[in-house]
Amino acid sequence: MSQPRVFLVDDHELIRSGIRSELSGSVEIVGEADEVGAAIEMILERTPDVVLLDVHMPDGGGLAVLQAVGHADAATRFLALSVSDASEDVIALIRAGARGYVTKNISGPDLIDAIYRIAAGDVVFSPRLAGFVLDAFANPDGSPVRIADLDPELDQLTPREQQVLRLIARGYSYKDIASELTISIKTVESHVSSVLRKLQLSNRHQLTNWATERHLF
Amino acid sequence: MPVTTASKPILGVPQLPLRRSSSGNVLGGVCSGLAVRLGVRDRTIRIMFSVGALFFGFGLLLYVAVWLFLTRSGEDTSIGSRLASTRRRTRSLLLSLVVILAVLAILNALNLHGTGGFAWSLALSAFGLFAIWRGSSPDERAHLEGLVNAAPVMGAASSRGWKALVLRVVPGIVLVVVGLQILNKIGGIWGAAVPALLGAVVLLVGLLVLLAPWWLQNVRDLSSERRERVRIEERASMVAHIHDSVLQTLTLIERAASSESDVIRLARAQERELRQWLFNPDSIGTSAPTDGSFATLLGALENDVENDYGVKVQLVVVGDCPSDEKTRLLVAAGREAAINAAKWSTASTVSIFGEVEPSKVSLFVRDTGNGFDPDAVASDRQGIALSIKQRMAQIGGATTIRSTLGHGTEVELVLPRAAVGQ
Repeated sequence: MSQPRVFLVDDHELIRSGIRSELSGSVEIVGEADEVGAAIEMILERTPDVVLLDVHMPDGGGLAVLQAVGHADAATRFLALSVSDASEDVIALIRAGARGYVTKNISGPDLIDAIYRIAAGDVVFSPRLAGFVLDAFANPDGSPVRIADLDPELDQLTPREQQVLRLIARGYSYKDIASELTISIKTVESHVSSVLRKLQLSNRHQLTNWATERHLF
Repeated sequence: MPVTTASKPILGVPQLPLRRSSSGNVLGGVCSGLAVRLGVRDRTIRIMFSVGALFFGFGLLLYVAVWLFLTRSGEDTSIGSRLASTRRRTRSLLLSLVVILAVLAILNALNLHGTGGFAWSLALSAFGLFAIWRGSSPDERAHLEGLVNAAPVMGAASSRGWKALVLRVVPGIVLVVVGLQILNKIGGIWGAAVPALLGAVVLLVGLLVLLAPWWLQNVRDLSSERRERVRIEERASMVAHIHDSVLQTLTLIERAASSESDVIRLARAQERELRQWLFNPDSIGTSAPTDGSFATLLGALENDVENDYGVKVQLVVVGDCPSDEKTRLLVAAGREAAINAAKWSTASTVSIFGEVEPSKVSLFVRDTGNGFDPDAVASDRQGIALSIKQRMAQIGGATTIRSTLGHGTEVELVLPRAAVGQ
């Protein structure tokens, strides 16, 4: 496979140069931007395969970029990159169309692996994102959600999906998960994609609450 | 250097330097300051000023002027010189003064009565008091605010006896007399009531037109001053935090620059603390490690293992519950497992996953290191494994240890929630 064309969006020069040096040689970096407006313009012009998107930036952050570009060019895929621990920020970005989320202290080889995965149309769930998603789809005790209120197609995770997410949260790689559950890696990937789809389309109140509280949608 | 004077006058002994008193003062400390300087009772000076005030308000004006231009004990500069040092304030105050003088001059020119010496000194004193209010130091401002707040209730406190009576009655009588005097001079109480009212209304409107912009300007200045104070306070607490945390860590990093693992450890710990401060400012200082929810206990565990053993800990927590004796023991068992992984596995990352479900609390500690054969372990490591198992058995939980040589180890700890005491 040829090297994916990658675009960097981050308002910190130090972080960008760090990522650049980790990625050099493994992917083709077609540009970078340190603010939302420039990022939108350049991404639309250069149509990269993968955009590495910082969650927290002035003027609306990664979300503003996603909303402006995401629909205009479906060929460009987004990987959210953050140091933030705030789950609602991350979930909001995924709901807006990002295909994965990793923390900035990810190792170089892992980041390259994640970029190749995203470029191939897969989904990248870091352990932390898996935890966020389990949390978002959990029914907290004390406030049981009536099953009738839920759309089983979108609002609930299947037991198998929960199993896969738990293994990701426990630090298992896709390969480890496949051998643990004696399924193929492709099946693991399809479970994760289905979770991502539910995350983006579900109207579950935990998910929409976050969004409306932050005036995002 | 600020000069602090003796607060008590010594009779017959003049003391230097001349300063407004900052203790035992009623208003601005002018009288007690002068009393100290001259070596007389402060009551004497007070009576002199009061008598002086009867002569066209001259005593009052003098008092305010001294208040403005005499440095307070313990401070460097007088209020007047402080006000003069900022150009914007000076301009707004000078403008106010010009307006007041203009109003008085117009009243005089219209030949209205009641605008004699009293009116001039009252207006100028009021202006002086306003300037004092604007320019006073925070310390003195607090004193003045106390005075202003206390003023309305002063007369009402009947237990104060004759003092309260005097405070309430004397200004009242003075005001009534002055008012009657004015009406009388206009031409009888009833005879000229209508023109007098008309005149008063015209006067009020004129004053309003003249003074409104000036007043607005001052109100705006005051509120912007307050906002600036709030900003300065916020900045100060921010600076304090950055200093205590980030700068200290940077200094430590400079010293430990030769040891890569130390630098990484310091940077990580600082990163976590700063992130915590930025995103959960309320939880600072409240999360003591022996107390707090399941998730906070795990956060402390992550922190300790990263700091003490220099491995990266990847912590994911789903759900949360208040901690009790059993969850604390569960976390303690998890800590043993994590330390074990950090010490022996040679893996660079230890994954910890905690989940609270209605029926159970589970904790997974996993590494991708060299693993071991659970049936043939060295006795010291078996000891640690035993201590984990014993802890879990003690609280009615289950321990599962899975390990494959060359592929790493995972310790699974499950505590049924029915066993979590209510």
